Amino acid sequence: MLVERTLVLLYFAACIGIGIAASRRVRGSGDEYWVAGRRVGTWVNAMAIMATLASGGSIIGVMGLAYSQGIPATLALFAGAVVGFPLASLLVARELRNFGRYTITDFLAFRYPSQIVRTLVPILIVVAFTIYIVAQLKAAGITAETLLGIPFEYALTLATLVFVIYVSFGGMVAVTWTDVFQGVLMLVVVLGTGLWFLWEVGTPIELMRRATAAAPELGQVEHRPVASYLGYFAIWATAIPVIPHIVMRVFTARDAHGARLSLNLAMLAYSALILAAVFLIVPVGKLAFPDLADADQVFLKVMQSKFPAAVRGMAVAAVLAAVMSTTDALLLACSSSISHDLLGNVLREKASQRTIDAVRVGTAWGIGLLALYWAYSPPELISQFYTAGVGLLSGSLFVPVIAGLWWKKANRIGGVLALVTGALTYVLVHFQILPFGLAPILVSVAASALAMAAGGLLGPPESREMIVAIEKLHAQ
Amino acid sequence: MLKSFFPMDRDEAFALAFLVAFSVFSFLPLWRSQELAGMAVFGWLMAALMVLSPALALFVFGRRGRLRKC
Repeated sequence: MLVERTLVLLYFAACIGIGIAASRRVRGSGDEYWVAGRRVGTWVNAMAIMATLASGGSIIGVMGLAYSQGIPATLALFAGAVVGFPLASLLVARELRNFGRYTITDFLAFRYPSQIVRTLVPILIVVAFTIYIVAQLKAAGITAETLLGIPFEYALTLATLVFVIYVSFGGMVAVTWTDVFQGVLMLVVVLGTGLWFLWEVGTPIELMRRATAAAPELGQVEHRPVASYLGYFAIWATAIPVIPHIVMRVFTARDAHGARLSLNLAMLAYSALILAAVFLIVPVGKLAFPDLADADQVFLKVMQSKFPAAVRGMAVAAVLAAVMSTTDALLLACSSSISHDLLGNVLREKASQRTIDAVRVGTAWGIGLLALYWAYSPPELISQFYTAGVGLLSGSLFVPVIAGLWWKKANRIGGVLALVTGALTYVLVHFQILPFGLAPILVSVAASALAMAAGGLLGPPESREMIVAIEKLHAQ
Repeated sequence: MLKSFFPMDRDEAFALAFLVAFSVFSFLPLWRSQELAGMAVFGWLMAALMVLSPALALFVFGRRGRLRKC
């Protein structure tokens, strides 16, 4: 355990070091703190985006799911997020980058000027993302407890303190550089492991052939309709173009073209990570450990049985990196929702720069510690809740954002109606108060689109000034 | 009808339509039972979608970038 623990401590120290270095650059500047000065290059941004999307679920979860439910079902769940990025690059990236502010709330409040939008959007973000953070923290705690032999509470507290320190003091600059570091670590460990097995066996087809001969269920779709996977696919495909911690990455790009390229380069790397995990590592795990009671252990078991301590230590650090690279971006998005979206106007008018800096840091610590407190005894179904939280965001934000950018008849009434209807419908269908027999995301997006159409067609037409402003966002 | 929308570049509109059509095609129920190399065709289609969708978007934006430089 000594080698593994030392490597993880070195990793933590590197993250804090990056945070301290970044804090000097971001102090006193909103542009630097929230969007890294809008000068993050395409390749750096791509790696940071990949790391932001790749949470603990993208290493431990994806392999556990493929092991227990088969590769096709697993790919259906993860393909939604991958498709979401090209959609984001085609539908929102250029326009939001040209808009040039900090958050998705900034755009919605500009497009649909209303107190409801200014208040409801950040509240939805904070609620959904706090649940998401707790789920990620739980994954970090379990991983460290299993692999390092550290008690769950200690592991949780240590990991939380590390990322709260670098997010709160270093803002987006620290998040970007730690994400790049974490993304490289994840790719090296997962692709390196996959390529090692490929070298041993010969070809992925041969590996798959052996694994599916021994365990045919690995290649089969579970006995439920393919359409039942459509809900998860749709949640992530519609969430990515509007979900705040990804949209903030669009704002950090040097220009609109760079933002579009980085989103798709990130997805090529992410797809390589997921495909290596399910096609190269899971078959080895299935052959070596065919009867695991806890499928999520498959990656850890493979690492423990096939590699020396130094590689295992890197694997633990890679899993923690996956968790932290997502959690840090979520924390920054939550923090911006409170200190920029909700309190921003008051602070800009009445507070000194020193107070604004203190509020930013304090908000990140407040949310981080609240999530930590909750994560000490997380609800059992937290993993399902976080997917529902992401669904709530996409159900409420997708239509207002896309229509606001592309439909000339989208107006303030339509935007507010679409936002509120999407959020309400998602909650009602998810908790089966409105039993529809369809995935909540499909119902809520449809309801939100109907509300937008009703408001746009029946309400007053949008002003000429607003149409011209949106036309400018579409400019090359 | 189309006048109600802000115009989209033709290549980008094609890429968007392709992504939506490929996604719908992949979710057709018949791919569940068909197998190829030990795995349901549905799984291969999902894997192809994960590679093709960002590659197509990169191709479209790369082409636009080159045209812009010319």
